[in-house]
Amino acid sequence: MDFKKPLVIAALVLSILGIFAVYSVDPFRGQGLVWSSFYGRQIIWCLVSWVWFLLIIRIDYQTLIKYGWWIYLLVIFSLIAVLIVGEVDETGSRRWIFSRSVQPSELAKIGFIIFLTRYLVQRVEEFDTWALFFKVAALGAIPTLLIFFQPDFGTAIFFVIISFLALVLSNFAVRRLLVILGMGVVASFISWFFLLDYQKERLLSFFAPQRDPLGSGYNVIQSLIAIGAGGLSGKGWLSGSQSQLQFLPARYTDFIFAAWCEQFGFLGGMALLVLFGVLIWSMFNIALECPNLEGKFLTSLLTWIFVFQIGINIGMNMGIMPVTGIPLPFISYGGSSLVVNLTAVGIIYNVAQSKGEEDWEPIL
Amino acid sequence: MWNKNPLEQTQRRITILFWIFLALLIVLSLRLWQLSVLERERYQLRSEQNRIRISPLSAPRGFIFDRNRQVLAEDLPNFTAVFVPGTVNLEEAISGLEQILGRTISTSPRERSSGEMVLVDNLTIEEVIRIEQAGEKLPGILIETFFARHYPLSEVTSHVVGYVGRVSAEELSQGKSADYSPDDFIGKNGVELFYEDILKGKKGYRRMEVNALGKVVSVLENVPPRFENSLVLTLDSEFQQFCYQLLEGKKGVILVGDPWTGEILVMVNRPAFDPNALSRGVTQEEWKEISLDPGFPLTNRAIQSLYPPGSLFKLLIAFSALEEGAVNEKSVFSCPGYLDYNDWRYWCWKRQGHGRVDLVSAIAQSCNVTFYNLGLAVGPDNIRNYAQQFYFGRPSGIDLPGEKNGFLPSPLWKRQNLGEFWFPGDTINLAIGQGYLLVTPFECWQMISLIATQGIKAKPHLLLKVLDAKGEEIWSFTPQIEDKIEAQPQTWNLIHQGMRQVVEQGTGYACRGLPVNGKTGTAQNPQGEDHSWFGGFFPREEPELAFLVLVEHGGDGSGEAAQLSRKIVEWWIKNRGGSE
Repeated sequence: MDFKKPLVIAALVLSILGIFAVYSVDPFRGQGLVWSSFYGRQIIWCLVSWVWFLLIIRIDYQTLIKYGWWIYLLVIFSLIAVLIVGEVDETGSRRWIFSRSVQPSELAKIGFIIFLTRYLVQRVEEFDTWALFFKVAALGAIPTLLIFFQPDFGTAIFFVIISFLALVLSNFAVRRLLVILGMGVVASFISWFFLLDYQKERLLSFFAPQRDPLGSGYNVIQSLIAIGAGGLSGKGWLSGSQSQLQFLPARYTDFIFAAWCEQFGFLGGMALLVLFGVLIWSMFNIALECPNLEGKFLTSLLTWIFVFQIGINIGMNMGIMPVTGIPLPFISYGGSSLVVNLTAVGIIYNVAQSKGEEDWEPIL
Repeated sequence: MWNKNPLEQTQRRITILFWIFLALLIVLSLRLWQLSVLERERYQLRSEQNRIRISPLSAPRGFIFDRNRQVLAEDLPNFTAVFVPGTVNLEEAISGLEQILGRTISTSPRERSSGEMVLVDNLTIEEVIRIEQAGEKLPGILIETFFARHYPLSEVTSHVVGYVGRVSAEELSQGKSADYSPDDFIGKNGVELFYEDILKGKKGYRRMEVNALGKVVSVLENVPPRFENSLVLTLDSEFQQFCYQLLEGKKGVILVGDPWTGEILVMVNRPAFDPNALSRGVTQEEWKEISLDPGFPLTNRAIQSLYPPGSLFKLLIAFSALEEGAVNEKSVFSCPGYLDYNDWRYWCWKRQGHGRVDLVSAIAQSCNVTFYNLGLAVGPDNIRNYAQQFYFGRPSGIDLPGEKNGFLPSPLWKRQNLGEFWFPGDTINLAIGQGYLLVTPFECWQMISLIATQGIKAKPHLLLKVLDAKGEEIWSFTPQIEDKIEAQPQTWNLIHQGMRQVVEQGTGYACRGLPVNGKTGTAQNPQGEDHSWFGGFFPREEPELAFLVLVEHGGDGSGEAAQLSRKIVEWWIKNRGGSE
């Protein structure tokens, strides 16, 4: 079965819905289609990143994997560079370069996954050994710590999770995985004592936003109100006091899901969830379908870029995840995340193109 | 280590990860169902509360006019900056506002309705425009128009009209919470307080849709406050102003009224206070200064201060003695300048004596010795009874809050409270309006008024008419005779004659030549110079006006008080003569 079609269609529909979602909360939309408006820029970014997608699918993923080490070194270099010459944003994190147009940590996600794939598929004999675990841990710790000190806890946690998932794919025994999890918990407790006060403060407000009821706590409350007020079918396109009257904070980016649900209700929210489901279902099937280990690793790990963002973002919109600056793929306003997401989709598409002969049953 | 086929093994792992993803998707869907279907009513309500702001609109108070429709109290617009809680906190809002205004805000913000704070009152039009122009740069700040009470005559009518202030916590807890929000004005004294329920008007409210910055996006419902009733008082403000000026630099009271209808034309007290300042709201120090002022500017002396009436009381003694038969027109008394009684010598104010006097000239000369004798003849209990008939020590029923009543001593009272017997000396003191006796100026005015009408008691009042919003009369006062003091015609006759002689030949010479019947009074007081009283009415037949003047420390009654009385009567004849 060809999963490229549902993959591309889901991504395309989501990125078009993203333009509508941004338009619905755009304070400049009354000025007509101007490029300074949020949705105008989103349209441009959408076109640019889909052209980029067409380029990406022409690059053989095997070539990318071949350059795995180089990519890893590039990732480390750019993360060091951002700590030295990076620009600080309004959250106080140093995570941008080139006049706040590029977040190296975003591209680093894909680079790190390519590298992990390259590293692990060459060590099939070492699968499920402590030696391999410590190597992966050491290689993963370097970019993770560099991101941790930007600080960007959301992305740092993503690196940890991706490293762990790579171990899962490397057939580590469940017992060993549990030991690793336990070690992770102990390590985080110990590292707590080495953190500076402001770092502790940031971590605490990351995991317990209700500590700050006027800050992120306020945001979550407004978000819950927006989703709840939408009801079953929503208040209608461009309606809804929470998003239209600016009660909802960060409604183009972090809380766009709530703004969407206020307008289109439970049904609209479910439509998005189903589209994401189709997208990720296609990705998993491409991973399963792929005849070689490197294609499976690469696709499964890239898939988790989306699972992670969707889970955290929609979860925080509904008050069951900590508030972090993680956007909703394709829907949130923002060019660089669109480029990164379509890069990941493009690589997966490329994996799907080089289909194997093996007989297998698609999942679901 | 089971490592037979890593590809197959990894395939299983990927499948497991897919199921984990699917579980996550289901959790998110269930949570979405919970929020937008199961709990949606709760969130829809909160969404409404978020965007809807109900703002109570204070009602304008009614006007207060004098009898000639001169404005005594009115509401003027007051532009106010209000803080609405939203995204910014109070401190940020204040500093933003200070930047726009270019001045610091010294008053502390006060709560208006839940969460809304009033930051600055009395903004000028220029400041209002500047704030409106700042718009989005000043989140959480709204300009609202309130009303400020203004009293054009200020001090002149301060005690009668009173003043307003923000409703206090006590007033709110006294069951007024339904009608008032904490920022509303309420009458605090005078007519403003007494007729609060008529003056207050009907509150309105506005339901507005606001955005997160507290800016009004649209008005959903506007129920404007309604201006309801205005009051027309019996006061004659020109006359009041004239009388106020008469007391310039003095402490005292002037009361003028129509004895037949009970209408009060003038009620002036000095020192007075500025009701505009009090209604605007004064600081604690300013309030301390006013309320601790040794001149008691806040006291409505006419109805709230107690004085010995002095010789003014002799009219009542004369009345009692005539009614008791202790004296008649033929009785003659001899005044050697003193009275010896029980080894004690009581002096007349004229130490060389008045010689032989009848009752009329005793009143005219205010001969103490004659009244000592009359007082002793009538006795303290009878004096007390007659004084009560003349409404001494009883509420007058005037439509003002805080009226005090005089004190009428009696032998019983003295025994019970001081543990002493009532001595004849006490009666002698009482007979000339001294000793334990205390009265309010208004009670004295009522006595004069009752003498003028020969016993007909009209209910004294300040309210003449009530007007509706359009200015149409919806109620007006009909004079009512509350009471009548029954007495022999000759009693009234002789007292009137005595009062005429006061002016023509006696102590009231300052009024000589005017058709006035009057009586002087000199109240000794331990604090300093005597208080000077003069009470009277005119014209002599069918009197139009009864008046009373008290000048604290004004010396004897024939002096300041009588001189002021002359000016009062002359003003009336010149400006209002023949009009009634």
